Amino acid sequence: MANPLLEVRQLNVAYGDVRALWDVSLEVEEGSIVALVGANGAGKTTLLKSIAGLLRPLGGQILFEGEDLGRLNTKHRVDKGIVMVPEGRRLFQTLTVLENLRLGAYLPKARAGYDDSLDRVFTLFPRLQERKNSKAGLLSGGEQQMLAIGRAVMAGPRLVMIDEASLGLSPILTRHIFELIVALNGQGATVLLVEQNIHMALKICSKAYVMKTGHIVLSGTGEELLADVDVRKAYVGERGSRL
Amino acid sequence: MSSLIQVVINGILLGSMYGIAAVGLSLIFGTMRIIFIAQGTMIVLFAYLVYWASIKAGVDPYLSLLWVVPFAFILGLGLFYVLFRKAAALEDRNVSLLLAVGLMYLIDNLILKLWSATPRGLDIPYSDAMIVVSGIRVSWLRLALLGLGLGSALVVYLFLKRTRVGTAVRAASEDMEATTIQGINSVWVCAISFAIGIAMAGVAGVGMATVYSFDYQFGFVFAIKALVALALGGIGNVFGALAGGLILGIIENLAAYYVGIEWIEVASYGIFMLVLIFLPQGLFGRRGLVKKV
Ligand SMILES: Nc1ncnc2c1ncn2[C@@H]1O[C@H](COP(=O)(O)OP(=O)(O)O)[C@@H](O)[C@H]1O
Ligand SMILES: [Mg+2]
Repeated sequence: MANPLLEVRQLNVAYGDVRALWDVSLEVEEGSIVALVGANGAGKTTLLKSIAGLLRPLGGQILFEGEDLGRLNTKHRVDKGIVMVPEGRRLFQTLTVLENLRLGAYLPKARAGYDDSLDRVFTLFPRLQERKNSKAGLLSGGEQQMLAIGRAVMAGPRLVMIDEASLGLSPILTRHIFELIVALNGQGATVLLVEQNIHMALKICSKAYVMKTGHIVLSGTGEELLADVDVRKAYVGERGSRL
Repeated sequence: MSSLIQVVINGILLGSMYGIAAVGLSLIFGTMRIIFIAQGTMIVLFAYLVYWASIKAGVDPYLSLLWVVPFAFILGLGLFYVLFRKAAALEDRNVSLLLAVGLMYLIDNLILKLWSATPRGLDIPYSDAMIVVSGIRVSWLRLALLGLGLGSALVVYLFLKRTRVGTAVRAASEDMEATTIQGINSVWVCAISFAIGIAMAGVAGVGMATVYSFDYQFGFVFAIKALVALALGGIGNVFGALAGGLILGIIENLAAYYVGIEWIEVASYGIFMLVLIFLPQGLFGRRGLVKKV
């Protein structure tokens, strides 16, 4: 069998003396959508940041297309196509929409594909084209999330890691953003999706992992987890869950 | 009336120097999040170099722009990588600030050792050249200061607005980690903006060599003036910083003319405090020295 696009093996990460990830392993197949769910503070963001090269793990491996990324810095990971949409969007508020998108295509390889990428972003998010000269800080919440995803698309990603895309969005906008994520995936980008909105995330993913206090405690297909009594208990608020 | 105009014009011209220094401070503050207190000392250092080149080799101080600005830029890159690279990554900004204080005193004392405590100033053959318009006299040398200020502020503005690296500098001043996430080498971006800040000190050094008499202790005072100019103009706005300098120059000259020369410092620091109390964003700034929470 071919290597998965991304493989995390026995990853351990700490902030100073405080351990945040314990022997975390997961696989993301090329072309799939994989969801990563779990309560606040479970370590989801920490895992994404480690994959992006923003945090140095204590131990374990992160392989991309079978190659150990080791201590490669974020710049080189982005150049390989590993791109993150950070939690809270983290747009450059005083820069225009277009300037934000341009920064997404900063590296030479991405810059070479700038025109195509921009077309792609504006096709996915026509709203951004209308507002291309507005300051990012003036966009609505939904538009800001589109811009955050669009900025990642500008890098020409192989793997897009999206951290809490639905945070602060209305149910309708959340649904819309999820549709766009599915469309993005349909265009060939592999997606690793961190979500609080478990139900929708499990519906669109082919595989999901559940995290709790720094451990992966459960994994399976989206349907399996949707049917899983414990998952439902944990997130519908019933008692006695093992999460 | 014409004497008032004369005083204001003199203020604008001398204030250009504060403005140039403040633009440099603003750039460095953007990415490093410190008031680079050694900025004035850097200016004095470059003024000495320009002075020296003029005395020893007869190089015209304005011609010195051609070598002192690139030299300052490269020195800035070197200083950043040797002194500030590690400290810039720390959450606690005090380490960077202390390094800047250390650098200031180190260079002050180096200057004292190299050039003694004697105040220096250049005798420039064309320093008496004036233009006179309806009774108002303006020396070309001082007018050139305004040209330096406007020119260098424009260059920095275009760099920030029109270039890829300049856009990255603006991004990094807003959110360093998000900049890194785009695959941008934010350490390099910080180094560039620091180096441009030091290059501005090079520009100001030329101005200082042509119109001031300076000694090794002049740097700190000048850094404080630049800080006042920055507070007046507001951070994050190149022309605001320049305008802050011009306004400070005007205030100082008005105070000297109407109240007495010994009141210059009282007036400028008094206004500094008033601005910080009532307009912490500065007169033109989008954000002040502190972000609103
Ligand atoms: N910068 C940090 N410094 C120290 N501890 C942190 C930091 N960021 C996160 N943590 C801790 O690491 C754990 C995992 O956090 P995080 O990865 O943000 O979880 P999630 O994204 O699942 O909500 C939490 O206990 C959190 O308090
Ligand atoms: Mg998180």
